[in-house]
Amino acid sequence: MSATHPARVDFVALARDAGAAALVAALLAFPLLGFELDASARGITLNVRLLWVLYAAAVVFVGRFSFALVLRSFGAQLSALASRGGGALSRLLSPTHLSPVNTRYIAGVAMIAFALVLPFLGADRNLIDKATLILIYVMLGWGLNIVVGLAGLLDLGYVAFYAVGAYSYAILSTTFGLSFWVCLPLAGLLAGLFGIALGFPVLRLRGDYLAIVTLGFGEIIREIIINWQPVTGGPNGITGIARPSFFGLEMLPVATNGGTTFADFFNIPFSPDQRVIFLYYLIFVLALATNFFTLRIRRLPIGRAWEALREDEIACRSLGLNPTMVKLSAFAIGASFAGFAGSFFAARQNFISPESFTFIESAIILAIVVLGGMGSQIGIVLAAVLLVGLPEWFRDLAEFRMVAFGAAMVLIMVWRPQGLLSHREPTLRLGGGRPT
Amino acid sequence: MSATPAPAILDVEHLTIRFGGLLAIDDLSFTAKAGEITALIGPNGAGKTTAFNCITGFYKPDVGRMTFHHPSGASHLLERMDGFRIARAGVVRSFQNIRLFPAMSVAENLMVAQHVALQKASLFSVAGFLRLPSYLKAERDAHDKVRYWLAETGLAREADTLAGSLPYGSQRRLEIARAMCADPSLLCLDEPAAGLNPSESLALNQLLLKIRNEHRISILLIEHDMSVVMQISDHIHVLEQGRLIASGTPAEIRSNPDVIRAYLGVEDEVELELASGESV
Repeated sequence: MSATHPARVDFVALARDAGAAALVAALLAFPLLGFELDASARGITLNVRLLWVLYAAAVVFVGRFSFALVLRSFGAQLSALASRGGGALSRLLSPTHLSPVNTRYIAGVAMIAFALVLPFLGADRNLIDKATLILIYVMLGWGLNIVVGLAGLLDLGYVAFYAVGAYSYAILSTTFGLSFWVCLPLAGLLAGLFGIALGFPVLRLRGDYLAIVTLGFGEIIREIIINWQPVTGGPNGITGIARPSFFGLEMLPVATNGGTTFADFFNIPFSPDQRVIFLYYLIFVLALATNFFTLRIRRLPIGRAWEALREDEIACRSLGLNPTMVKLSAFAIGASFAGFAGSFFAARQNFISPESFTFIESAIILAIVVLGGMGSQIGIVLAAVLLVGLPEWFRDLAEFRMVAFGAAMVLIMVWRPQGLLSHREPTLRLGGGRPT
Repeated sequence: MSATPAPAILDVEHLTIRFGGLLAIDDLSFTAKAGEITALIGPNGAGKTTAFNCITGFYKPDVGRMTFHHPSGASHLLERMDGFRIARAGVVRSFQNIRLFPAMSVAENLMVAQHVALQKASLFSVAGFLRLPSYLKAERDAHDKVRYWLAETGLAREADTLAGSLPYGSQRRLEIARAMCADPSLLCLDEPAAGLNPSESLALNQLLLKIRNEHRISILLIEHDMSVVMQISDHIHVLEQGRLIASGTPAEIRSNPDVIRAYLGVEDEVELELASGESV
């Protein structure tokens, strides 16, 4: 295709390009789709499905060819359309007649109100459970946002602190019989200490080097949990973790050792839904506290120091900021929120095992922060709903669930490479002329 | 200048630093006096920025002693201190290649510079988190300081602009404002006039003179722009290949044959430049 005739389309080049894409698709599809395990009464047999590989290659060829064709023919119109579409979300949250602060405030209040009334909208137990799961990830995303979004320290082992929090509560509860409300701050404190323990050796590292060390740290914690059998129960995990109580009222059908149950106290019939809703509100409050804390500390000297460290560590040093303290505080505070979330997770599940704390969890939490727009609190909520919610909604697609999920991720990153909401609100406005 | 000699604010003695086989600074000794503007000049690669990096703790010298005499009477041996402690002691620098916090607003840049004082006022975030009156007062004072230095550097209208989106000359001035917000006793500026046009250089001269005269802050300056160096410096030290080749007032330096020979090499042009005090 020559530059002077942009309208003419070179079909041979398009076909070659689509052919290359189809080849890659076929290579990928061969191990992924080419084999099928068939478990029947006679035992397990392996079926080879070469036709499926061909189908996949054909679909990719046609898709790539038509995509490129459309792009070359209507490229300019399409990109204009895409940018209009891309701006729609930002405009939705910042229409011209409202200041960005106001719209964000309104959006936040609307989200909180929606979350508050959700259990009374006729939502079934399953949906509340999913919402609870999403809120756990919102809280983890907000916690990791302090480390990654504000301080700019790429942490791939965040799940380690989540695990420390969960196991702290599980062990303290099963061996010493301490209640959830006593263990919650302890779990946060312990996770914070682990954050500092990780922080010390990585003080000099940045970017990809830091990512690798934190990844290793996450794996070390998981290996310790698997192998320290007498304390952590090894691969079998810990069972029979006590459920949190509602101001001393137990969320159980029958009271244990002389306590009172929630249902008895309010003189209502017991229903397991009560516990599900209680847990939902509990994580809702914990997550809101995380958000409140982050919003407030961002405007304090330490919060500004985190962001300055992300921007330029050498300049920080030249202004008298101690980078060691700034980094360690970010690691410690970020980790303690994971600790709180972890102890809630243990209390909700009743059972924990190392399988809940694999690297993929860290990756998902990091993806939530990045997709949300690195530092945007509301963006993280949207990203958590998408990343945790989407795989649930795609359940009908059976084995293609993760393919659809991956495609959705790619589309979002093409559409908004800077994250869903990437606008950074300054921590103070002095006014006096040109705005940001 | 008064008849009694001004006390030294910075004493550099026998400073030597080697990078592998390269002797970057060779037995450099000089003094910067309190209340004066002291300039370090010399051709590219003479070791000026390296000397700065030693003074502000970014490099550790192999040999030498650098004593900073705080106006309050305390003395600090800079070669033994971390960079951030040197800044806290009162030696604050700017950078040859501007180092702002680009994604933060102009006002936020100046708030970060006041971190040490504000962090103390916030009692390690406790008082700040609870928004106690003592912290709120400290914060208001910090805002006033931000407004003052923005006005002094002509950036008052840009308080809420992102630092990274400012034009080049404004970024240079913002870096000076930021350094001033960190409460220095000795302000070290690494080529503050680089890339400025003549009228901006003139404004810079006035700003630096004001910092010296009204705020009584000593300045140590690296500069290539002769219109800045010759007009505002009280004292000039000339470096060549890591060694001090001349010291004196601008008038003495202007007529020093060693400087004319060493500086930039081309005798006639440089003589002309040094004599006229204009940049090429």
